[in-house]
Amino acid sequence: MCLDDQILNTYLDGELVEPWKTQVEEHLKYCTACSSRFRQLQAVHEMVCSSRLSDEKIDAAQEKILAFMENKYLHKEKKVKFLHRDFTMKTPTIIGIAAAFVLIFIGAFTIQSPSLNDSNVLIPQVVDTQSGNVTQVSSIDSLTTDQILSNLSLEEILSYLDSKGFEVDLKVKSVNPIGESTD
Amino acid sequence: MEIKSSENASFQRVYKEVFPVLMRVAYHVTYNLDVSEDIVQESFIRFYEKNIDFVSVDEAKYWLIRVTKNLAINVVKRKSREKAMVDKIKKVPKTPVQNGEDALMNTETREMVRSAVEKLPEKLKSVLILKEYADLNYKQIGVILHISESNVKVRVHRARKMMETMLDRGEMHVS
Ligand SMILES: [Zn+2]
Repeated sequence: MCLDDQILNTYLDGELVEPWKTQVEEHLKYCTACSSRFRQLQAVHEMVCSSRLSDEKIDAAQEKILAFMENKYLHKEKKVKFLHRDFTMKTPTIIGIAAAFVLIFIGAFTIQSPSLNDSNVLIPQVVDTQSGNVTQVSSIDSLTTDQILSNLSLEEILSYLDSKGFEVDLKVKSVNPIGESTD
Repeated sequence: MEIKSSENASFQRVYKEVFPVLMRVAYHVTYNLDVSEDIVQESFIRFYEKNIDFVSVDEAKYWLIRVTKNLAINVVKRKSREKAMVDKIKKVPKTPVQNGEDALMNTETREMVRSAVEKLPEKLKSVLILKEYADLNYKQIGVILHISESNVKVRVHRARKMMETMLDRGEMHVS
């Protein structure tokens, strides 16, 4: 008696138990119809399997999401410390760059935060773009020197925001590092 | 080893072991890399925030696969309901072929498999994806989907039968 597809599939998946496993193996040795059918099922299985998402793409996503999880959840209680350490490392590079365009991203919830009222000393005007949570912080002419944002170092700005409880994500855009070509 | 989902060492351990499987499950349900990343991230956020105790890494893995699979299926369902969502997903370019392993497997074949998987009814699709892309056995798939092992066996068989028919029409040849 020949083998049906379901038995062959179960055998293919290594899920067939004894004594049927041995019986199937014996049968496949001499029955060309069944062994040919088995090879066909195997080919379908391999074709489907081999079209899987590549490890390369998985690895990239794995790193990216882990960084997010560590930052937002796993290391939350150590966030302030982490921020400072991270910042100190990057400062020389940032200072060495002329005309860096700096955007400070502040979570939308902080706009409504009552502590924002206190921040007028440092940030004279926060332009709420209304949609989204991207806010560009800019300096204003009528202010004294220590109130103008560009006169403050990034570290001063960051530690100030940090002390007010903001979660700050700093990104530097359109930057050409010194000594490198601009292509 | 017992797993506490909000505990750092437990989380890292589960993350490392389960991430690739979750990505493949999300990807082969949605066939969209960006959407898959969002789904898997959401699964791990829930895992962390729910603060659940699991008796083993495997139990945590089954829980995560179940959550990921459901999130992915919901995205696909929503996608078919909301026109805007459809447009957004379709605008994302199809996964480019890059490494050597992929080169052997030509783009046309990938596309054929993809369109066949997408056409499977949901019950068969879930089982096939867990079998072919998550490398789970019948018993594990049964635990994840809350169905019996023999039911898994039958669905694997039916799903492969449908796949074969659809791939055949796309002229699959076996020497
Ligand atoms: Zn036979």
